[in-house]
Amino acid sequence: MPEAVVCVKPIPDPKHWDRLSLDPKTGVLRRGGIPTVINPLDKHALEIALQLKDNFGWEVTVVSMAPPETTQTLREALAMGADRAFLASDRLLGGADTLATAYTLAGLIKKKAPNFQMILCGNMSLDGSTSQVAPQIAHFLGVPHITHVSKIEAKDGITFKVTMDLKLAQLILEHQGPVVLAVTKEVNLPRLVNIMGILAAEKKPLEVLSAADLDLDLSKIGQNGSPTRVRNLFMPEIKRRREIIKGEPDEVAEELINRLHQVGML
Amino acid sequence: MGDYRGFWVFIEQLQGRVSDVGLELLGKARELADATNTYVGALLLGDFSKAKAKELISYGADKVYLFSHEKLATYHSLAYTKLVCQAVTQEKPEALFIGATPLGANLAPRVAAQLETGLSAHCVDLRLGEDGILEQIVPGFGGTMMAVIICPEKRPQMATVMPGVFPKPEPQDRQGEVISMAVEITEKDLVPRVVEFKAKEQKTVALDGASVVVCGGYGMGSKENWQLLEELARLLGGAVGATRPAVDEGWAPEEVMIGQSGKIVHPKLYIGAGVSGIMHHVVGVQDSEIIVVINKDPNAPFFQVCDFGVVGDATQVLPAFIGKLKERQKRACDFLSIETPQMNEGPYSPDSKGDSQ
Ligand SMILES: Cc1cc2nc3c(=O)[nH]c(=O)nc-3n(C[C@H](O)[C@H](O)[C@H](O)COP(=O)(O)OP(=O)(O)OC[C@H]3O[C@@H](n4cnc5c(N)ncnc54)[C@H](O)[C@@H]3O)c2cc1C
Ligand SMILES: Nc1ncnc2c1ncn2[C@@H]1O[C@H](COP(=O)(O)O)[C@@H](O)[C@H]1O
Repeated sequence: MPEAVVCVKPIPDPKHWDRLSLDPKTGVLRRGGIPTVINPLDKHALEIALQLKDNFGWEVTVVSMAPPETTQTLREALAMGADRAFLASDRLLGGADTLATAYTLAGLIKKKAPNFQMILCGNMSLDGSTSQVAPQIAHFLGVPHITHVSKIEAKDGITFKVTMDLKLAQLILEHQGPVVLAVTKEVNLPRLVNIMGILAAEKKPLEVLSAADLDLDLSKIGQNGSPTRVRNLFMPEIKRRREIIKGEPDEVAEELINRLHQVGML
Repeated sequence: MGDYRGFWVFIEQLQGRVSDVGLELLGKARELADATNTYVGALLLGDFSKAKAKELISYGADKVYLFSHEKLATYHSLAYTKLVCQAVTQEKPEALFIGATPLGANLAPRVAAQLETGLSAHCVDLRLGEDGILEQIVPGFGGTMMAVIICPEKRPQMATVMPGVFPKPEPQDRQGEVISMAVEITEKDLVPRVVEFKAKEQKTVALDGASVVVCGGYGMGSKENWQLLEELARLLGGAVGATRPAVDEGWAPEEVMIGQSGKIVHPKLYIGAGVSGIMHHVVGVQDSEIIVVINKDPNAPFFQVCDFGVVGDATQVLPAFIGKLKERQKRACDFLSIETPQMNEGPYSPDSKGDSQ
């Protein structure tokens, strides 16, 4: 059966990003114990794969690169209906930028799902927001890629008609054969997890692999394999007046006009 | 670094129409090149004549590398990647900037991977560090955090840059050269096959370059209330923007969405009504000279980053504000003994009643 691979990234739950802070001494990001969730767009990517499974009997494999404690997060993907999951997790993989991440995920796919027909990614991860990993995985695997995918039609399960949303235009593409697709939220509505799924997920294979398991070139992974560096992090500077005006509508309107006049805006 | 010289810009075009972001980046590249005594290169792929390519010189390019071929009129990621990499490998620029548009975000990562160099995404600023290394400013976690990204050892240093963060330069009378590059592409470079290109109607967005932006959020509550924003914008000679939820509600077209995934604006005056001030939106307005916020929730995060914050119901404050502005305008006109001007319909209010008299 053809196989779809879905790249799923565990990220700190965006609902709690207000808890992020910078260590004043080291300038290092403190995550403040924020719980981990699946990057929301990756569920849309998974939904595509699950529909290929439902309609054409495809197999669905989830791959991820993340710290070992995120296995629970990946169980959710299994509970949604994926068949198996592989997590690349190793200290040597830490500090990876998109190039090293894509190289590692491509290595994991070569090892564990070499006969994939389709690789599905979210168009962007909410925390990193680079939109870079999917095209870079495609490069390392030597297959074409389509990003900003807002629609996929799989008529016979062999030829796919894919819409790439360019904002000012749409490109409609047709493709057969292995490809990487990065999807937007317009593409579908991901299914919810049910109790049957959760029970089934407990029995599905979820394998954690180290860098050594994947035959990777050590100079291309983790921090060593990352051409970019974070020179420093900072919180955006706030240098605003922050003058608050309260009162009845007429009063505040008058007051606002006065203040705007004072600063030369009216 | 050694052999690598010049700041390059990939000039995005869709079916022959050059996007502004490429020109904006030429302006920035010009500035960086002047500061370091090097040249600006423009990379143009499409079905273009040399004369057309020459126009890029007036926007700041010293050398325009032109890949002209009818097959390149439409974007194909593999063909574009191959040719961009070919030019870079041959000419060795120290930096390559690409617009952070869907097309740019499709192309840049693959080019960077093939060149085995670094790429930073969605930059909101570029500057040179004291050591001459390019500092790329990137918002993270939806803008709650900013990161300065560098690529110390690999060349070119690559960045995708948000449209609208740099001003589009005025065309000038300048000298430069257009270099025709050989285009070798095969059928393999043209997969996946493009079967259709559907242009969406391109409306001129009054938001670009507007000196006043009136922006509505989900708190505006309805399409009817939205008319208040249209009216205020007309009165102030500005344009109307929207947050994502307001666009999702259908109160405003997607083209006027402001923020990380929409437009970056830098007006003199920004007025946000019924907008909570989540960083995704705020990153798009933080360069405004004055920020006014109208929100009924005194704890709305936007009050932390505004100049004047009005705590109140926008559906009451806006009519009062509009009424008083009209009075002022009328007084000024009476004083000058001229007629109070008739208001024009804004470009985005096809169904507004035009009841602003
Ligand atoms: C990856 C990502 C990218 C995003 N990109 C963008 C982007 O580019 N642009 C963008 O805008 N959003 C973006 N968002 C969404 C963003 O996170 C916020 O959800 C959005 O900006 C909030 O819009 P809002 O302020 O209109 O709505 P809400 O957050 O719902 O706020 C409405 C506000 O109106 C106030 N209010 C209610 N009634 C009234 C009244 N009668 N008078 C006055 N005030 C009232 C409320 O107190 C509240 O503060 C993005 C999200 C993600 C995850
Ligand atoms: N560490 C990771 N593990 C698995 N998938 C990832 C990882 N990083 C990125 N991806 C995939 O690539 C997409 C785009 O991520 P990004 O390039 O970070 O915006 C995500 O939606 C995922 O599908």
